[in-house]
Amino acid sequence: MSVIEIKNLVKIYNGSAVQVTAVNGVDLTIEKGEFTAIVGPSGSGKTTLLNMIGGLDSPTSGTIVVDKTDLSTLNKRQLVDYRLNNIGFVFQAYNLIPVLTAKENVSFIMEMQGAKKDAITQRTKEILESVGLGDRLNSRPNQLSGGQQQRVAVARALASKPKFVIADEPTANLDSKSTENLLDIMEELNKKENTTFIFSTHDQRVVNKARRVIVLEDGKIVKDERRG
Amino acid sequence: MRKQMIISISWKNVWRNKKRSLIVICAVLLGTIAGVFTSGIMKGWVQQRIDSVIYTEVSHLKIHNPDYLLNEELAYTVPDQSGIEKYLKSDQNILAFSKRVKIMTMASTSTGSSAIMLNGIQIEDEKAVSKVWKKIVSGGGEYLNNLSKNQIVISDKTAEQLRIKNFKVTSEVIDSLKRLEVPASTIEKLSNIENIRYKTAKLFKNELKTLLSKKENKEYGKQIFNASVHYRLRSKIVFTFNDTNGKLVYQTFRVCGIYKTQNTMFDQMNAFVVKDDIAPLAGFSDNSYHEIAVIAHEEKDIDELKSEIKTQFPELSVLSWKDLAPDAAMMTDFMGIWYAIIMGIILFALAFGIINTMLMAILERVKELGMLMAIGMNKKRVFRMIMYETVFLTLVGAFGGMVIGALLIGFTGHTGLDFSSVSEGLEAIGYSAIIFPEIDPGFFFLVTLLVIGTGILSSIIPARKALKLNPVEAIRTE
Ligand SMILES: Nc1ncnc2c1ncn2[C@@H]1O[C@H](COP(=O)(O)OP(=O)(O)OP(=O)(O)O)[C@@H](O)[C@H]1O
Ligand SMILES: [Mg+2]
Repeated sequence: MSVIEIKNLVKIYNGSAVQVTAVNGVDLTIEKGEFTAIVGPSGSGKTTLLNMIGGLDSPTSGTIVVDKTDLSTLNKRQLVDYRLNNIGFVFQAYNLIPVLTAKENVSFIMEMQGAKKDAITQRTKEILESVGLGDRLNSRPNQLSGGQQQRVAVARALASKPKFVIADEPTANLDSKSTENLLDIMEELNKKENTTFIFSTHDQRVVNKARRVIVLEDGKIVKDERRG
Repeated sequence: MRKQMIISISWKNVWRNKKRSLIVICAVLLGTIAGVFTSGIMKGWVQQRIDSVIYTEVSHLKIHNPDYLLNEELAYTVPDQSGIEKYLKSDQNILAFSKRVKIMTMASTSTGSSAIMLNGIQIEDEKAVSKVWKKIVSGGGEYLNNLSKNQIVISDKTAEQLRIKNFKVTSEVIDSLKRLEVPASTIEKLSNIENIRYKTAKLFKNELKTLLSKKENKEYGKQIFNASVHYRLRSKIVFTFNDTNGKLVYQTFRVCGIYKTQNTMFDQMNAFVVKDDIAPLAGFSDNSYHEIAVIAHEEKDIDELKSEIKTQFPELSVLSWKDLAPDAAMMTDFMGIWYAIIMGIILFALAFGIINTMLMAILERVKELGMLMAIGMNKKRVFRMIMYETVFLTLVGAFGGMVIGALLIGFTGHTGLDFSSVSEGLEAIGYSAIIFPEIDPGFFFLVTLLVIGTGILSSIIPARKALKLNPVEAIRTE
């Protein structure tokens, strides 16, 4: 079952001097439960592609259909709600609200979704345990290491059981040990909860963990391989 | 989403940059204290003036023969006395009324003279209407009583003009100065003038000037001056006036009491005697008088009461305190304008500080706000989050300011604030030199609403700034 269907996606930035075609005719289908890495040199259009899939940026042309919803039919306000209810996000940094504890950060999306208090409490605890932070529920971001913060971010992204999780270079700011650890956790959750992951990376070790690798160059898919 | 969540984030955000928040909060605090306190002083000041106007000077309503107002002649007494008296007695809204014979006289002693309005009153009725009987100064004897005839209560000002107010350093004065901790060396110098009587304030002041050093005068002059006041009670004053037939008549009264209200002009003019001591002499039958002063139960009923009496007794003139002391009535209106101006300035300054602080906060949190919008926080929630933070920032200071302001008013409302360095000017126009600040609870309610309103309004600019953020750009890490 495909979660995301992308057809002939193009994104052109009209800079003051030059026109940049960041994504240049991408066709792509993501299946439920896939663990996909998007790789490519700097400037190849990874972030641009992920932002469009995540409903943060609009394509110049082409379509993105997520679970039968064509994102281009949604207006800005609808897109916000769409993101809230369907997509989990993990960014490279600044993922967490500094004044909230790990627990509160993870609950945040479920709170916004209006979930039941008991359900939130239970799910928050469960998911934080899954990322190995069961003992840091009440720590604030500045009391956690960079790796731990990213694990909280992953927990938050997954807490509300979204259709898929987008992670743009989630390990870029981490050392190799934390990187490996985060990827292990993501992989484990991908298997355990059958969560669909799409992440971009520069890191070969991260690429090695992926079961599908898509290589972008100049906004085009030049390679798309499934492993294992 | 549960509102508490957003509210809790907003509250925590207030304290993210403690130093900056505290600076704004302090500014708001000081502004609110200033606003509340100055308003309290203003209110106390005006209220005292109005109380004084009503309860010593003009009462709530005054009823006259209309001709008396044009020309204060003896003949113009209140007509239809039994009718109006019956009415006043039966009206539920009326607390008390006092009938007064008013005679313009020339008062003279062996050493001075002055034009005085003699108010012939009935003691118990007058006490229920006017508080002059409570304004007897210390060492100034007592109010009128029915025990002896031909007594008079005059003001401190009149006593001064008629040279009944003297200055004398007696052994009691020295004792009291010792108690006031005036240094022995200074008191020693005063023993030179012990028991010498100075007939005027000027003479005594000059004597003190030559006797004491400049420094002593500055520090203790006022205490010595006040302690040395000596009223020659039981002094005789002769009053001369024309009776109803135009014949010149005389009457001697003995001073039994000296009063002082906060209105020098009123004091200078008015003296009080028992009606029966003066009315026959002026040629009046038992029950003639020129004026009825009325006090109502409720100040707010005055206008209604006035028009009621007017329709019932069209031949009478009825004036309310607002007619008689328009300046004091105007002060009430002015109070509203004063509040508005003071609050306007404070809230405006407050809004500036708040907007500036919040804009800085937004600027610092661009990435975080971008992230929140990216993960699905809608504009309404972002707006609310910033609005709550702004309101909290405003309220903390304003609340503290109101509490401190209220305490200040409570405290000074008890002790009073002495403005006597400028008091002579104030008292000359009828305002007390010692102000007891006061404020009504409604004011705090209003201020709270205004502050919250300002907080909400001030949040619009920073919130709009936040909403304009493009999440994609905000979260892009370079
Ligand atoms: N807002 C923008 N305006 C103009 N050009 C842009 C904008 N955003 C991205 N680009 C351009 O689009 C191209 C693709 O950028 P993108 O950020 O998607 O690359 P990337 O693969 O994520 O690179 P990196 O690995 O460095 O993160 C680049 O040439 C970039 O300069
Ligand atoms: Mg990128």
